[in-house]
Amino acid sequence: MTRKWTRYPKRTFYAFIAPWGVGFVLLTAVPMVYGFLVSLTNFDGSSPRWRWVGLSNYAELIGDGDAWAALVRTLVFTAIVVPLSVAGSLGLAILINRRLRAVGLWRTIFFLPSVVPVVAMAIMWKLVFNKDSGILNAILGVVGIKPVAWLVDPAAFYALIVLMLWALGGGMVIMLAALQGVPAELEEAAAIDGAGKWTVFRQVTVPMISPVLYFQMVTGVIGALQVFVQPLLLTPASGIADVGAAPDSTHLYMVQVYQEFFLSNRFGYGSAMLWVFFLVILGLTMLLVRSSRSWVYYEVDTEGGAR
Amino acid sequence: MTAIRTAPPQADRKPAVQAPRRPTKKRTPAWMYIVILVLSMFFVGPFVWLLLAAFKTPAEWASLPISILPAHPQWQNFVDALTSMNFFGYAGNSLFLSTIYSVLITLSSAAVGFGFARLKAPGKGAIFLVLLSTMMIPQILTLLPTYVLFSQIGLIDTYWPWVLWGLAASPYMAFLFRQFFAAIPRELEDAAIVDGAGWLRIFATIFLPLSRPVLITSFILSFTWTWGDYIGPALFLNLDHTTLAVAITAWYQDPHGNVIPTVQAAGAVMYVIPVLLIFFFAQRYFIRSNLGSGVKG
Repeated sequence: MTRKWTRYPKRTFYAFIAPWGVGFVLLTAVPMVYGFLVSLTNFDGSSPRWRWVGLSNYAELIGDGDAWAALVRTLVFTAIVVPLSVAGSLGLAILINRRLRAVGLWRTIFFLPSVVPVVAMAIMWKLVFNKDSGILNAILGVVGIKPVAWLVDPAAFYALIVLMLWALGGGMVIMLAALQGVPAELEEAAAIDGAGKWTVFRQVTVPMISPVLYFQMVTGVIGALQVFVQPLLLTPASGIADVGAAPDSTHLYMVQVYQEFFLSNRFGYGSAMLWVFFLVILGLTMLLVRSSRSWVYYEVDTEGGAR
Repeated sequence: MTAIRTAPPQADRKPAVQAPRRPTKKRTPAWMYIVILVLSMFFVGPFVWLLLAAFKTPAEWASLPISILPAHPQWQNFVDALTSMNFFGYAGNSLFLSTIYSVLITLSSAAVGFGFARLKAPGKGAIFLVLLSTMMIPQILTLLPTYVLFSQIGLIDTYWPWVLWGLAASPYMAFLFRQFFAAIPRELEDAAIVDGAGWLRIFATIFLPLSRPVLITSFILSFTWTWGDYIGPALFLNLDHTTLAVAITAWYQDPHGNVIPTVQAAGAVMYVIPVLLIFFFAQRYFIRSNLGSGVKG
C-alpha cells in the first residue's frame, strides 16, 4: 500500500489535468456565469451606465415573437438536417462498404467536403446557387426548370440544408467503421435462417451499429441547433458585418441572438436568449439520452468505457 | 484505417466471433457505379465550379447563357486576389494563429490525457465523466459571453484568446490521448520509475514520443480547424489583424461594394489549397480522429 502511495502522489494527477481543469473553469464556467449575470442587466456592450433589471429580459423573451419564430425554425431545421445527414452518411457508408473498383477514390471524394473550411464552402455554394451564373440553375434549365433564386426566401432554407448535407463525409467514415465492425457471421446466420436483405439490415445491422447511430444523432442535434455562421455567409451580402442580411427562412435562433448583440446592442437580452437556448439544448439532449434506452443496443462487454 | 490504437469495442469480443471481419462482398452491379458517379458529382462539383469561376473574366462569369469553360484562363484573377488585399499578411496571421493554437492544445491535451490514463487520485473517475460531458457543451454559447468578458479586460484584437484556448486543452483531444496512453504496457514506466524518473520526465521522454500518431492527428485537426474558423477571428480580431478566413469574405469588392466573384473565387482557391494538401497527405489522421469520436464507449 505504501508503495502505491509513493507511485501515485495525488498532486501529480491534479497537476497533469490542471490545464483542462483551470481552462474549463476560466474559459467555460466563468463566461457562462458571467453571461447569466449580464442577462440580468440592460448592458449594451459599451456604456458604463447599465443597471440590474432582474428577470425582465427573460420575461420579455417569453413574449418575443421573433425569438419564438427563430426557435421553431431552428427546431424544424434540426429535425430535417439531422435525420437526413445520419441516413445519408449511413447510405454512403453502405454504398462504399462493398467490393468496388477504386474504393479509396470514392471514399476520399465523399469525405473531402467535410474538411473544407466553412468560408470556402459558402463561397463555392454561392457560386453554384447563383441565380443567373450558377451551375445548378443551368443544369435545372436543361430539364426545363426556370431559374430559382436559391439565396433568397423561400429557397434559401433548402440551399442551407444542401450545404449542410454536403459535409456529411465525416459521419460516413464513422458509419463505415461501424459497419465493418458488425460480425459477418451474424448477418450470414440471419440470411441462412431465411431473412431477406432488408430484414437482415433492419434486425441485425442496425441494432449492432445503433450506439454509433445514436452518437451521431446526439452530436448532430447539438451541432445543428447551433448553426449560425453558414446562414450568415450564404447571403448575397458578405460576411458577418451584414448580420441583418440573412434571409428570413435561414434566420435561425443563433442568428437572432447575434442580431440582438451586435445590431441592437442588447447584450443583456442576447445573453438571456443564450441561457434559454442552453437549457433547450440540454433538455433535448436529455430527451435523446432517455429515448436511447429503448433503441440503442449495447453489447454486454463494451461496458468498460473507462477501462 | 489499420492503425487504430484506440481499441474499438469489437476488440473485446471473444475470438470465436472475431474471425473474419470482412462483410460478405458480392460483385457490384453497374448501376451502382452510376449512383456513385452521380453522388461524386454532387461532392466534387462545387470544387470544380469554384475553380472554373476563378479562371473566368467577370463578363464570362455573368454571361447568359452561362459559359462553362473560360475561353482563356484568367491568371490575373489570382494576381488580383493576392495583391488587392494583403493576402500574404492575412495568410501569415492564419498560419501564426493556427500554429500557436495547435502546438499548445496538442501538448496540453496530451498532458491531460496522460493524467487520466496513467495516474491515480481520488475522484478521478468522476472527473473523467465531467470531462466527457463538457464535450457536449455547445461552444457557440460560451463564445459570445467570452467575447463580452474579454472585451472588458482588453483581450480583443490580440492573439491571447488563442493562447488561452490552446493552454486549456480540448476534452476531445485529451480523450484521444487517454485512449492511446491507456493501452501502453506498465513495464515501460516501471523501468523509468526504478531509475528514479519523475512523472513529468516519464511523460515527456517516454510517452510523448510514443504517441506520435495521436500528436500528428491532434496537431493537424487543430490546425485545419483554426485555419478554417470564421467566427473566432471575426469576433475577436479587427480587420487588420484577422485571418485569411475573414479577409476573403471582407475584401475583393468593386468600388460599389459588390463582391467580385471571380477574384474572390481565386482567393478562396488559394485559401483552401493548404487544407486540401494536408488532407491528401494525412487523410488517415482525419479518419482516425473521426473514428475516435465514433467509438466513444
